[in-house]
Amino acid sequence: MTYHSATGPVGAEGRYWDALLEGRLELPRCTGCGRWHWPAVWRCGSCGSWDHEWTQQPLEGEVFTYTRTHHPFGGTEAFAKPFSTLIVTLNSVPVRLVGVLEGDEAGLRIGAPVTGTIARTAFGDAQIPALRWSLS
Amino acid sequence: MTPNLSGLTAAAGVGYRQYKRGTAPAPERGVLVRAIVDACEDAGFDPADVDGFVSYGDDKNEPVRLMPDLGTKAINWSAQVWGGGGGGIAGAFGIAASAILTGQARAVVVFRALVEGNSGRLSAAVMAHHLNDHMVSSGILAPAQVCAMRAQRMFEYHGVPYELCEELVRASYYHGSRNPDAVAYGKDFDHDEYSGSRIIAEPFHLFDCSRENDGAGAILLVSTEMARDLKKKPVKLLSVAQGTEAGYGDLLENDATELYPTAGFRAIRDRLYGTAGLTPADIDVVQLYENFSAQGIASLIDHGFCTYENVAEVVRFENLIAPSGKLPVNTSGGNLAHGFVHGFVTAVEAVRCLRGESPNPVPNARTCLLAGGPGAPTISSAIFGVD
Repeated sequence: MTYHSATGPVGAEGRYWDALLEGRLELPRCTGCGRWHWPAVWRCGSCGSWDHEWTQQPLEGEVFTYTRTHHPFGGTEAFAKPFSTLIVTLNSVPVRLVGVLEGDEAGLRIGAPVTGTIARTAFGDAQIPALRWSLS
Repeated sequence: MTPNLSGLTAAAGVGYRQYKRGTAPAPERGVLVRAIVDACEDAGFDPADVDGFVSYGDDKNEPVRLMPDLGTKAINWSAQVWGGGGGGIAGAFGIAASAILTGQARAVVVFRALVEGNSGRLSAAVMAHHLNDHMVSSGILAPAQVCAMRAQRMFEYHGVPYELCEELVRASYYHGSRNPDAVAYGKDFDHDEYSGSRIIAEPFHLFDCSRENDGAGAILLVSTEMARDLKKKPVKLLSVAQGTEAGYGDLLENDATELYPTAGFRAIRDRLYGTAGLTPADIDVVQLYENFSAQGIASLIDHGFCTYENVAEVVRFENLIAPSGKLPVNTSGGNLAHGFVHGFVTAVEAVRCLRGESPNPVPNARTCLLAGGPGAPTISSAIFGVD
């Protein structure tokens, strides 16, 4: 594991961050029962397995919900106000991921299709690998 | 038979000190000691005899440090509900009652203190409890933003009208404007001011958000038997429940789809009412922890007062105000209009309204639901009652 979190322990997510650093989205699936776990777990609470297979997923999904932030909360300096943060349900697996919307915001609504890219967000001295979404 | 705590413990004393943020006359521990002594004087109880302390929300005042000021003879119990938000406020009474009813403590103070100069901004502290690289890299740094995303789902997907937020906020300000201790005292609610207030995180405007005060609150819980010998009318703890159900909680916004926009109280609703042997229709008044207006509405839905379908019939200004409304909510002004010391004012008013001490009395109120901090991963609520 190479990634060092900017905010707290990496937990069972080390592989996610390492893959993101290499430009890929990878997510874990229990090899015992096939269940997708997000947040990542050490042990599958459904079947008890400790083994997980991480596989690459396309950054495609639809908007589950969102907020457009206007107030300059401390720590959001990387983003010009207002900016929109999306929770996106991936098309390929039952997982939601968070990221900031880039580009045209017309048509932003729950259910809108989006595609993603991997960028970096400046946070203090850290450059956190992060998702950016665009309305398809 | 499973033991039932209903009615066996009672709030005997209440203390609450509130100041404009940044203006507390003493550091946090000093304000807290004052509030605890207030609660004891209210009850006619010697502070030195308090032998248990319970808090929530990552309070920083370890009870042993209060002993010299209170003259505490012995601490027999100290505990705190897990969680960085206000989700534990009602559960704290459950912990206190558990100690009393199992003989581990005799007189327990439930408290919360918050003075910015000592503990910093609450919003930052709550967030520090939850922050992770996923959120900060997406510009999510405040509880308002997380609650806004959940609210957006409730409005846009589940069809709850956004306009209902104003009904709830207006009711809080109506009550607060009539409460000399409230931040909104003497101020009329103004629609244009509300809707024209700056946007924090859509859909929330400034007036949808609780704004922090300095202060401290304390409530003395003892056995109902002991409370009968003290100064004030006992306000009995009829029920309390805390918890989280599978598919809800601290899950990187991966909560079960149907649970995501809720305030989390479906996990405890049946236990809460079951312990008291009551239903939502039996509740005379609600003290509703509203960190944000939409979460207050979600909490009312969770607690069974309305549904996505009929919420507009219940969350109406006229229906929410004392004494005429059928469901008076936040009779002192609540977090929005009385003041916000991590929600403690809602617990204080739960006791006061049942004693008949509310600035906006609810005639003949016998039961009060204290709906704890909504949207927190671990949530709790309680029901108080008087004979």
